[in-house]
Amino acid sequence: MTALAKLAGVQAKRTAREPVAAFFMIAFAPLFALMMGLIFGNEPVVEFGDRGFVDANLVSFTAIVVAIGGFVVLPIDLVTQRETGALRRFRATPLRPLSYIGADVLVRLALSLLSILVMLAVGIIAFGARPEGNLAPALLAVSAAALLGILTFLAVGYALAALLPSQGVAQMLGNVLVYPLILLSGAAVPLAVMPDGVRQVAQFSPLTQLVELLQGLWTGQPVTELWLPLLVLAGVLVAATAVAAGRFRWE
Amino acid sequence: MTTATGTAAAATAAISCRNLTKRYGELRAVDGVTFEVRQGEIFGIIGPNGAGKTTMMECIEGLRARDEGTVEIFGADPERDPRTVRERIGVQLQLSALPERITVSEALDLFASFYAHPADWRPLLERLGLGGKASSYVEKLSGGQRQRVFIALALVHAPDLVFLDELTTGLDPQARLAIWDVISDIRDSGTTIVLTTHFMAEAERLCDRVAVVDHGTIVALDTIPNLIASLGVDSKLSFTVNGDPPMEALRAVAGVSAVERDSHRIVVRGHGNRFPHDVLGVLADADLWAQDLRTEQPTLEDVFLTLTGRHIREGVPA
Repeated sequence: MTALAKLAGVQAKRTAREPVAAFFMIAFAPLFALMMGLIFGNEPVVEFGDRGFVDANLVSFTAIVVAIGGFVVLPIDLVTQRETGALRRFRATPLRPLSYIGADVLVRLALSLLSILVMLAVGIIAFGARPEGNLAPALLAVSAAALLGILTFLAVGYALAALLPSQGVAQMLGNVLVYPLILLSGAAVPLAVMPDGVRQVAQFSPLTQLVELLQGLWTGQPVTELWLPLLVLAGVLVAATAVAAGRFRWE
Repeated sequence: MTTATGTAAAATAAISCRNLTKRYGELRAVDGVTFEVRQGEIFGIIGPNGAGKTTMMECIEGLRARDEGTVEIFGADPERDPRTVRERIGVQLQLSALPERITVSEALDLFASFYAHPADWRPLLERLGLGGKASSYVEKLSGGQRQRVFIALALVHAPDLVFLDELTTGLDPQARLAIWDVISDIRDSGTTIVLTTHFMAEAERLCDRVAVVDHGTIVALDTIPNLIASLGVDSKLSFTVNGDPPMEALRAVAGVSAVERDSHRIVVRGHGNRFPHDVLGVLADADLWAQDLRTEQPTLEDVFLTLTGRHIREGVPA
């Protein structure tokens, strides 16, 4: 347990000392929300059913944090540490792989969640973004969904890191995957403006399903109507965890 | 540990390897190696590049899966029982790194937390000459300082057995001497040490016994004096002398095999530790004294050359 706590502490410090990673993990989403809010404002418009742009899209931005953390930041960091031999040095100690992964996931989860909560606060406080129903329960539900999303895509990141051979490939594949998926998910541009065909294809992306879940909860849909995105995310979480657990390598 | 001999062996052996074999495709990187490392000794593994030293060491540590044979560290199999073994061993890897952006003290604190019984690492840093570097980032240190951090990490839990792979490669001579002192101290406090090295001077200075490894097998294993003696190569003593030396009396000295005059130098060849002293005694009896005295003894390098037909390349990592 002390090993897990120390590892989590060291991992948090390392992140804080890397300005680029810290920016992506914490400040990117709030700044993105701020930027979008400043550009589009939050005046009610017809396209969003007489809701403002921020009202309608704020929770979708969550998917950006989740996707970058899982597809880009985590695999590159993990593969780099494998390539430099840092993980190998851990392996020569009694440390269990699960302690290492647990600490790493814990820190990334905390940072991502922090980022998302600050982003939601920016939208709500600066632009008066509101859900369809009461704020508190909607915020709680969205936070829970964000947690599930973060976990799912961290597992995907671990699976990618286990499968990818080198840092170069991780970097390339991460970037190739993440931007189309963000675009398709409706996190950056509302899916409503996309052609029908693209919208249909987008439904197959788990990131799109995360956005559907977040949107559903924010607009007061009961959880029972959101079984499809929940099922998809849970399935991806289980599958990615299985791959990551089976293929994890220290070197 | 059921028989009397088994108990005795278990009490003295830190490592016991039988027929240890590791293959990479057709290549037998380690080829049926059998040996024991006794508790409390410094055991050296020396050999040329690609001889299989590191692979052998990593199979023993349990970091590489062996293909055949048995390995026991304090009676436990490092592959079947890795955590028990890793609690008791410290490892300095030849190729190693730490996550970036952590300080020396954070690294030691972190690694100490992985063990059930960590030692106090602050005195260790002082001993390794890193006392002033505790709050420096590991990646900002010089190569020699970084190497010492990894040695500290290998010792952070006061292990019973330490593996050091190419301990002082890349260190300047002064740092090397300092590390040798630390290693001797650690052995004196009861820790068993296994090291690989390219530096004959390092092996001669530190090792109680060495295994000479070539093509994945141990071609010789003994104390360094015994290995040198087994060569049967003469030592050489040469000097100039202030007069006419008694050549016949010199040839009659026990252990002397030849006495030659090389222009104005006298060259005496012989074996054993006594003959140089006796040769000087003969000169003194004739009221002569030797000047510009030089001795040349066979070294571990000669052992190496004889056994493998190759010079060990000093200072080049494997």
